[in-house]
Amino acid sequence: MPSTSISQSLHERFQKLKDNWKARTRHLSNVGQISLVFSYQSIIGMGPEVVPLILAELESEPDHWFWALEAITGENPVSDDIAGDMEASAKAWLQWGRRKGLLAK
Amino acid sequence: MNLFDLFPNLTVGNHEITSERTIKYNCIAWAARSTDRWWQPGVHWPIRSSQEDLGVGDLVLAFKSLGYDESPEGRFEVGFEKLAIYGSGLMYTHVARQLPDGRWTSKLGQLEDITHSTPEALEHSDYGEVVQFMKRPVHPDQDR
Repeated sequence: MPSTSISQSLHERFQKLKDNWKARTRHLSNVGQISLVFSYQSIIGMGPEVVPLILAELESEPDHWFWALEAITGENPVSDDIAGDMEASAKAWLQWGRRKGLLAK
Repeated sequence: MNLFDLFPNLTVGNHEITSERTIKYNCIAWAARSTDRWWQPGVHWPIRSSQEDLGVGDLVLAFKSLGYDESPEGRFEVGFEKLAIYGSGLMYTHVARQLPDGRWTSKLGQLEDITHSTPEALEHSDYGEVVQFMKRPVHPDQDR
């Protein structure tokens, strides 16, 4: 689903949750702790509709979206040789999103 | 939020910022002297692991694989390098590495690296408290 067709309310809710999550977790190192924050769990709970928004956010700024993307989609395009490399992992997910038509090419 | 909001024990006098912000690496990587990966169980970790290995004991095992053993305290000892492992509940939250002058260095998530005078400077925050010290002998050719 292209991000342009996403409803305004979904977009606004995502932005609000994302801002809360980022503000509360930038100083944390354990992705388990980072992803247990309520706002992050709420984003996962928004389901497949939110994936284009996460990918667009990932395109503008690498962050710990990989856990949410894998939890929602059941996929993981990050190969072992780049695991832990934030920039390369983000690129792998963005390529996956473009292949799936979830992100502008 | 600034560092003083995030870490109530930090003061102007007990820490200094020593790097730019970056998401390339985290405190675990920094303690292990790696600056090109975010170290996380099940993703990039020195021993076989799963994404659920988030406990203090899992982190202790990881650093044991790098030559550290448990230490009863974090007092500076000539000839040893020490780590302070922080935990909140059962989950590990942070690691700080002791410097040759007895102070400590930490990477704060995706924020900056800092030097802090004591491990306690980062306690009573989302990092919880120091729950384990570890140490290993310093090798003569080791980059401190």
